[in-house]
Formats: sequence, C-alpha cells, structure tokens
Amino acid sequence: MELQGRAALVTGASRGIGRACAEALARAGCAVALTARDAATGEAAAAAIRDASGSAIFLQQDVADAAAWPGIVAEAERRLGGLDTFVANAGVSFAKNATDMTLDAFRSLCAVNLGGVFFGLQHMVAAMRRKGRGGSAILMSSIMGKIAAPGYTHYCAAKEGVRLMAKAAALELGPENIRVNSVHPGLISTDMTAIFPKDALAPMIPLGRFGEPQEIADAVVFLASDRSKFMTGAELVVDGAMSVR
Amino acid sequence: MGLHNRVAIVTGATRGIGRAAAVKLATLGAAVIATGRDETAGRETQAQIAATGGRGQFVPHDVAREEDWTRVTDAAFMHFGGVDIVVNNAGVFFVKPLADTSVADWDLAYRVNVEGVWLGVKHGLAAIAKTGRGGAIVNVSSLMGQVGYPNAIAYCATKGAITGMTKAAAMEGGAMRPPVRVNSLHPGVIWTEMITGQFGDSQELADAFAADTPLRMVGLPEHMADAIAYLASDESSYVTGAELTVDGGRGAD
Repeated sequence: MELQGRAALVTGASRGIGRACAEALARAGCAVALTARDAATGEAAAAAIRDASGSAIFLQQDVADAAAWPGIVAEAERRLGGLDTFVANAGVSFAKNATDMTLDAFRSLCAVNLGGVFFGLQHMVAAMRRKGRGGSAILMSSIMGKIAAPGYTHYCAAKEGVRLMAKAAALELGPENIRVNSVHPGLISTDMTAIFPKDALAPMIPLGRFGEPQEIADAVVFLASDRSKFMTGAELVVDGAMSVR
Repeated sequence: MGLHNRVAIVTGATRGIGRAAAVKLATLGAAVIATGRDETAGRETQAQIAATGGRGQFVPHDVAREEDWTRVTDAAFMHFGGVDIVVNNAGVFFVKPLADTSVADWDLAYRVNVEGVWLGVKHGLAAIAKTGRGGAIVNVSSLMGQVGYPNAIAYCATKGAITGMTKAAAMEGGAMRPPVRVNSLHPGVIWTEMITGQFGDSQELADAFAADTPLRMVGLPEHMADAIAYLASDESSYVTGAELTVDGGRGAD
C-alpha cells in the first residue's frame, strides 16, 4: 500500500468528493483525519473507513474559523502521529448574480472556499514541518478556477484564488519538498451538483457524463503519492474535457 | 480613443497606477471620479486633472466599505450624470512567508483586494446599467494573479480571485443590454510606492528588476494608464473576460 505510514487531513470529508478522497487515501494505507461541520455524517464516514480496516478519525470543524485551525491540526497530529498530507476540499456553492448578491453572502462563501484553504494550508504546512519529511498539499479548486459561468463571480473568485495560492505555495515550499497542487473537477455527481439538470448538461461534456467522486479521489491519491513526486504548482483538471472547449 | 461624454470611476486614484489612470482618462475626455482614502493626495489628483484641462472630482472612498460605494456612485450621478467606466484599481500588497502571515494580514488583503474589487463589480454593473449606455469595468489584478511568487501566497490568492471573478462578471455584463465589458489588467513590476514601500526605493533595486525583465526596464504608471484607457474605450469593444498582461515580458520568462 503506497501511502502506508502517511497521515492526511481531509476537509469537507463527510460526503461527496471529500468522503471519496478520505476513503481512497485510507485504502492506500494512509491514516486519515476527516473533518466537516456535520458531526453525524462525518462520524459515519470515519466509521465506515474503520469498518473497512482503514485508519480514520473524525473532527468537527468549520474551516472558515481561522482560530480553530491550530487546535484541529494539533489533535489530528496527536492522534495520528503527525501529518504529511492535506486535502483542502471543503467548499460551498450557489449561483447568484453579483448585482443581486449581498456582501454577507459573498463573504460567507469566500470564508470557506478561499480563507478556509489559506488557513488550512498555513497550519497544515506547520504540521508537515514538525513531521519533517516534506509533504503534499492538494487544494480543491474547480474548472471554475480556470473558466467562468454567469452567476458565479463569488465562486470563480474563490476557486481561481485557490489556483494561484497553490502556485505561490509551490514556489515558497518547494525547497522543503512540500508539494502543492490544485485539482480542478468538472461536474461531478454529488449533493453539490444535484441542483443541475444532468440530462441537459451531460451532452456538453465531451465524455458525455458527469464524473464520479471516486474519479477525483483517484487524482488526489496520485497527488498524495510518490508517483507525483516531481509535480508541484500544477493543475490537475478532471472534467471530461468540459473546460477545453 | 476618445472618452468624451463618458464618466469614469477610478479607485485608489490617490497615487501610482490609479492616479495615472485617472489623469489619462480625463485627458481623453472622460469626467473622472477619483477615489481613495487619502484626502490630501486625492485633491492633488483632482488638481492634476484640472491642470490638463480635464474634469475630475475626488471622493473619499474605502473600497472595502459597501456604504462608501453607494456614496461614490451617487457622487458620479450628482457631478457628471452617470457612470460608464469603473476602474477597480485600489489594492494592498505585501510579501510575507506563509508562517508569518497573520489573520489580520490575510483579512486586509482579502477585504481590499477581493471584496473591494467585487463591490466595484457589483455597484459598477448596477450604476452602468442605471446610466443605460453600456460600459466597461477594468479590474486591476497583477502578474501575481496569473503566476505564483514566493512568499506571496496571500497576495497571489487575492489577485487570482480578481482574475477569476472578472471572467464571471464578464458573463454577467455581457448579458446586459447594452452590454458591460469586464476585463482584468495584470501589471508586472511597476515602479510605484506599492513596490518601493515593500522592497525599498533605490536605483540599484530598479536596475535589478529591469535586468530581470525582458524589456530591460521597470514599468511606469503611465504604461498601465495606457492599457486601462484601451480597456475602457471603444477600441476594445469586442474584448471581454480577457486578461491583459502588461509586464515588460516578465510573465513570459
């Protein structure tokens, strides 16, 4: 198992892409701290991993709460014996034109999708330094971190911000062998995309279908593993070619 | 590239790129609402516009405060009868290792660079729509909103956010009738107080940046003003959602 001896923290791990990432990392031998706001679904996700002979704990967390990050990371380090892998996955989404949106709504999305990633990266990099073996940070952006859609000034701002955050971090942290990459999912079958009409949108995707959470998890395990050990500051687009048009 | 009968709002017009853009747009015939936090410097920008025979009015403005935006767009209607152009230029810059960046550092960069520009998009689109002539919004991002830079994770994140929101805003503005174009400008190293305040103000440093730039010179605010005027004018009437990099070639290196 290629991730034996590694330990990861995955945010937004109670469902969707985050849960699939946590499960896939655990199957590869990685110990995983799952975090999410919802304790019931988060605990269930961690229990399911343990039932499948994986190593997993759950910690309740709102990633937007900057002050809570040090305590979350410290507890995960203590219980898993240090941390070397970070999957910054937690995110929220809604559509609204800028002209119709309140600043509070903009801020609440950016606090999770942009600020939550920044503070998570900051405290997880500190943990990776304490473990002293380099590390891999995988920041979940979106194809909307590269292209846009109407009604998504807030979401595109946060996701493209994450794309650049990964690049700057790759430059700063490369000398310590801490790799930082961004992942750009297209339309993936999750609760987040359940509002979209699948039959109307699937034909716009060259592969003709929505992706599955497991297909993002596969990319995340690759970026967590030594198979990608010369990759940093890169963008891994997993979208069935939707953004290539 | 005349901007006669157009009204432009330029944020951060108290110095550097913003002041140069405000003066340039006024020179081309636009009536300019020049905004910023520094009243004395803002009056100086207004005086420079007047000295070229242009029309300009300074309005105190903190771009991160939404109530200020209402006051600024109201002032544009009151003084000049509407809004056609918004240049979201105000921004803050710092270079700091990830570990040393405080919550307050992040909040400042996020609130000015991300929320400040987004509020400019929100209120700019609404004010231009209310005026009814269509128009253009220019968001000043950075080369660091296109490529990474060491010890600038927070800054790159906020400037990348501008790059991304610009494209989504272009879709929103494109659907308006008449349309509003929205583009981002990506300056490289421009010799302003923003750079000298961070790295120091010496000829040696300017020479070092110049040597590291394919055109072998640092950028000047006037270079940015020319690019902003292009994106604000009808010469760019089929350009929207685009990134204009004006960096002497640094990004290509």
